[in-house]
Order: sequence, then structure tokens, then C-alpha cells
Amino acid sequence: MTPTIDRSKYVTLGVIWLLLLTMPYWLPMVGGYMALGTRVVIMGLAAMSLNFLLGFTGVLSFGHAAFFGLGAYGTGLALKYFTHSTPLALVLGVLLGGIAGAVLGALIVRRRGVYFAMVTIAFGQVFYFIAFRWNSLTGGDDGLRGFERQPIDFGVWQADILHRPILFYYFVLLLFAIGTGAMGFLLRSPFGRTLLAIRENERRARFLGVPIEQHIWLSFSLSCFFVALAGGMYALLNNFADPTMLNYTQSGEIVIMIVLGGIRSFWGPLIGAAIFVVLQDYLSSLTTNWMSFLGTIFVLMVLFFPRGVLGLNWTEMFRSVLGRSRQTRPQEGGNLS
Amino acid sequence: MAQVDRRTVLKAGAALAGSALATPAILTYGRGESPVKLGMVDPLTGVYAAVALSEVAGAKVAVEDINKKGGILGREVELLVEDSANNVGTGVQKARKLIDRDRVNCVIGDVNSAIALAMAGVTSEKGVLHIVSGGHTDAVTGKDCHWNVFRVCNTTTMDVNGIADTVIEKLGKKWYFLTPDYAYGHSVQDAFIRKLKAAGGEYAGDLVPLGTADYSAHLIKAKAYNPDVLINVMGGGDQVNSLKQFVGFGLNHQMAVSGTLFELESLRAVPPEALIGWWTMEWWWDQPDNPHVKVFVDKMRKATGHTPSARNWFGYTSVWTFALVANHAKSLEGVKLAHALEGFKLPPEVALQPGTPYYRPGDHELMSTMFAGEAHPAKGNPDNMFTVHSLVPGEKAAGPVAETGCTIHWS
Repeated sequence: MTPTIDRSKYVTLGVIWLLLLTMPYWLPMVGGYMALGTRVVIMGLAAMSLNFLLGFTGVLSFGHAAFFGLGAYGTGLALKYFTHSTPLALVLGVLLGGIAGAVLGALIVRRRGVYFAMVTIAFGQVFYFIAFRWNSLTGGDDGLRGFERQPIDFGVWQADILHRPILFYYFVLLLFAIGTGAMGFLLRSPFGRTLLAIRENERRARFLGVPIEQHIWLSFSLSCFFVALAGGMYALLNNFADPTMLNYTQSGEIVIMIVLGGIRSFWGPLIGAAIFVVLQDYLSSLTTNWMSFLGTIFVLMVLFFPRGVLGLNWTEMFRSVLGRSRQTRPQEGGNLS
Repeated sequence: MAQVDRRTVLKAGAALAGSALATPAILTYGRGESPVKLGMVDPLTGVYAAVALSEVAGAKVAVEDINKKGGILGREVELLVEDSANNVGTGVQKARKLIDRDRVNCVIGDVNSAIALAMAGVTSEKGVLHIVSGGHTDAVTGKDCHWNVFRVCNTTTMDVNGIADTVIEKLGKKWYFLTPDYAYGHSVQDAFIRKLKAAGGEYAGDLVPLGTADYSAHLIKAKAYNPDVLINVMGGGDQVNSLKQFVGFGLNHQMAVSGTLFELESLRAVPPEALIGWWTMEWWWDQPDNPHVKVFVDKMRKATGHTPSARNWFGYTSVWTFALVANHAKSLEGVKLAHALEGFKLPPEVALQPGTPYYRPGDHELMSTMFAGEAHPAKGNPDNMFTVHSLVPGEKAAGPVAETGCTIHWS
């Protein structure tokens, strides 16, 4: 660990948070709008949650949309039937998605690789069809409606997150900070280091006496709790929840965001989500063939930059570019003179 | 003194070019006499793409028409089309984009009922007029109706009532249902059964999972029940597959087949042997007695190369509705427009059908005539695949407002 690497980490962190905190001020100037920025942050949290499992434990779940959707339905149903408190509804949504993930996780941790991915797809589709078919509770194909995010009362001051998109953005950003902070803290702990060891070499970790299944289960469950938080916020953003949120295609989108941004990097999935959401928004206004463009970009990324945008070693690249230019400069000058 | 090298110059050039690209976005605000903007959100990609693109084509022709005739309040009309990608989150986001960033005065869409319902939440909160062009679920102008939401296409219940009487009268009262097993299918079947019970008929039926490829088991049961009519509620590819197998089994010699919708876009996509059965058309192009329809058909054929479908008409009528009511109310304000639209009658050149359709005050549903008839392989004209047998007025099909479950709350 050289100090330069640490410094570059702090620079990344600083730039990301500066951009996120000032988003409401610069976004409209570049043609964006608040709902787009909020969606980037929410999908970013969803992608980072899945990457906790995929990038840092080395286990691919293709059914995370189910827990994303359960978080959304949990929050929506709570707001519709039990409570007028947005935070409480979110907590209930997170518990629904997280506990469902923990229970299912316990059933499937012994599977590996493609088998694990297939079982997660299957369980994900189970929840999709429950949401799709249970008309009386979930509204079926028409989606769950009839709830709205409620203003948050602080006693002296009421944050009207319903009518003021900026306040809702900062509410989402606060929860994003809590979620990513918790994930970062977990990954720095001995537990997180053990997850990395499992990712690098499961057999060796097992020989060292690490209870593998228990760790993968914990990682899966935690990841489900975080993705359910993202889902809950997504339901609040749209004031709506619908079955396609639980579909495996949604899981696929989250995986694409991770790969675009960088599978081994902590902040990569946020960048991937930003690229995906913004490109989708921008390209789909121009052409109905936007999926081809997005797909091409994805294929090119996978072929040439398999570690994603943040997986590139930017410092190394800058240094090599600068170094080369320093070497070539006299030559250029010579040619010019 | 520091030397300015080539690299710095290049970087500065790139930065300048970048800022030049970014500035138009800033400058578009604050212009004086800007066009009246109209936003349309439809699933241009995904399973509804064909019908959504038809709606957009109709809307574009309407915008051209309106601009030729002096625009809205003397200002030019501009249509902004956004793809909802058949995804609720994207649809809601696009509605916000159109309202927050592009400042549209009216939002049209979506074909997907769930997206239409979710968008209604945004448009009603923002106080913008919202015309649902092609999402059929009852809730849009029923339980989940909003003060600012008006709908051009029919409710599913209307589609059932549009054909049910014809089926009972002409085909018989013993029915067998082939119903897709989800909310839409259930509600359509229930509406059919209500009509049948009132007429004193009998029925049996099967609930079929979505995406079923093999209907033999269901068709054998239907054959054994020996009904007068097989009521086929399946949609899209399922509808086509089940109809082909229905004919393949020779059941068409034993019983009739009927259902709610078999849209022109679908009729075009199926092989001739599946062109069979009794259906409702929400609008049909072949109305020889109506000169306005001929003008519209020619216009659409010129613009798209195709004979217009009901979806073309939905898009066309949605845009015209906004233009007519804005010019009538001399305002672009959501609340004023919504009040003016209650009971608003469409003129014959926009209505393009017998009778005078109007937006019913109680639930904001357009009371338009339905065309019940029979599908058949094309005769002469390739788009002549349907013969209208009876016209059903909208009010009759819709039933009283009290039954819709809609109460309008003005905000």
C-alpha cells in the first residue's frame, strides 16, 4: 500500500460525494432533472448492494430484483394500509425484502456458480408471479397504487418530501450514505476481509477453518437488506410499485450496471448505474433503437474493459500518458522548430 | 514563463467544444413565444411496441393538422415523444421529465395500463392535463380516476359490453371461456358472465397460464362441453396460437368463437386461417357513409403507408382533444382545461364515427361508438379483414357512472 493509492481513493471519494451533494445545482444546467438524479442514486444503491455479494464475495445472484421489489411492495403496502410515516414504511419494506432474502439464502447457500444463479432466478420469479397474480393485495398487473410518500415530521420542521423533489433527493441521499457507509464499514471489518478470501479461493478459506456457508449466507442476506432499501426508495420515488420490478430482467439490468461500472470496485456500480440510467433516458428520447446502443456499449465494455469504468487503473493510465508525453515532448518540439 | 504546449491547447479546445454542446440546454429556457408543448409517453419498445407506434403516428398527423389550422391559441404545437420501455419506473420518470424539464402543457399515454395509472399520480400532483390514449384497465376511469385524467380508448368492461349482446343475440347463450389467468383475464371474464347471467345463459371455462403454447387439453374440454360460443380472452401471441389450434382441431365447424379485442395490428400479424371470430373494434376505418373518415384514412395512408387502425385514431383524437379544448377554454392551465373537457363533445372531423362522442363528466371516459363484427381473411383490400355487424353506443356499453367506482376529487 503506497500512499498514492490511498490518496487516489480519497480523491475518488471526495469527487463522488461533491458531485452527489451538489447535484440539484448542476443537474438542470446539463439538461437533467431531479427525478433522474434521484433514480441514479437509488439504482446506484441497488447495484452496490448486489455488488457486495457479486464483487466482494464472488457469488452471482440473478434474482435480486425480487428483494428490490419486495422492498418496494413492503414500503408501498405499509404506507397504504398501516402507517403515515415514510421512515417506518421504509423500515417495514426493508425487513420484508431482507428477511425473505435471509430465509431463501439459507436454502441455497450450498449451491455454487451457475446453479446458485439459476436458483436465485427461480426464487425471484416465484415472487414476481405472487405480485403478478395476487390481485386483491398487490393490484396484480396494474401495479400497487393508492399510496404516497408522506412528509417527514421533525416536530419543529416538516420535510415535505412529496412536493419538494429536492428534499426527497436529499432524503434518498442520506439513506444512500447510510447504506453505502454500512457496506463500506462491513467490508473493512474482518468479516469483509473473510468474504474477499472466499472470493479469491474458497477451498483455501475452507481449509483455514472459515465457515463458508455461514459467511455467504450473511453476505447474501445483508445484500438483500440493502437492495430492499433501494427498492423501498424506488417505490417512494414513483409512488407506485409494479410486478416488473421483481422480474429477472430487472435483475439483469442491475448486473449490467455493475459490470459497466466495475465489478471489483466499491463505487463502480454507482457509476455504472449513472451511465445506464442517464444513457437510457437520453437515448430513448432520440431513437427507439436505444437498446441496441446500450447493448453495443455493454459488449464493448465487456470485451475491452472487463473491469468496468472504475476498474481501470486511472492513476496508472494518467501516469503512463503523462510519462510518455514527457518523453515525446522534446522530439515534438524538435520537429516543430 | 510557463510554456503553452499543444496538449493544453487541445484540452482547452475540447473544453470549449463541450461547453458549446451544453449551452443549448441552458438557453432554451426563457424564450418568449415558445411553441405549446405536448408530451407523449408510450412503450415504443417491448411487447406493445406495434400499437404504441401506431398511436404516435396518429398523434403526429394530428399535430401537423393543428399547425396547419393555426395551432393552439395562435402558437405552434410541438409533440415530444418519450419511450416508457414498458416499464413503470421509466414511464413515471419520463412523465416527470416532460413536466419538470420540458414544461409540457398536456401529457398523453400510456398503452400499458399500469404505467398509465402510475403516470396519473404524477400528472395530477403537477396539475397537468393527462389524456390516456390506449390503456384499457377499468381503474383509470374507475376506482383510481383523477380530476385531470381523461381517456380516449374504452374500458375493458365497455369492450365486453360492446360485443356481449351481439354474441348472445346472434350466436347463442352456452359459452366456454378460454381466459388468461391474471387480473385482466379475470375482469374480462367476470364482465362477460354478468351479461350472460342477465340473459339467462350457462357457461364453463378454463383459466390458462400466460404464454401457453399448447391448447389441445383446453380445446378438448371445450369440445366436450359443446358450447355455442368459445369466448377467447387470450391476448397477443396467445390469442393467435389458440385461434390457430381452434381451427386446426376443426372446432370452427362446431362452435363460434368470440372475444373482446382483435386489433388491426394483430389481424395484420396472423396467418389467414386465424382470421376468425366475433370481436369489438374500438374504431374501424371502413365507414363508407362518413366523408370525414375518408379524409383521415387518406391522410394516414399518406403519412404511414398503412390503413389507419384504432390506435392511430386514439393518438390522433388525444392530440386533437387537447387542441380543441385549449382553444375553447382559451387557456393551457390544467384545472381550467379539465373543467372544460367535462361533457366536451368531439366534432365530426375528429370523432370520425357515427354519433357524437363526449367525455363523460362523472368518470372522464370518452363515450365513443364501438364496432362489433366478424373477422375474416382479407377481401379485396388487404386491410378489409373485419366486417361490422352492429354499432354499440358508448353510454350503453359503459353503464352508469355510479357503477364505475369513480369519484372525482378536484384539487
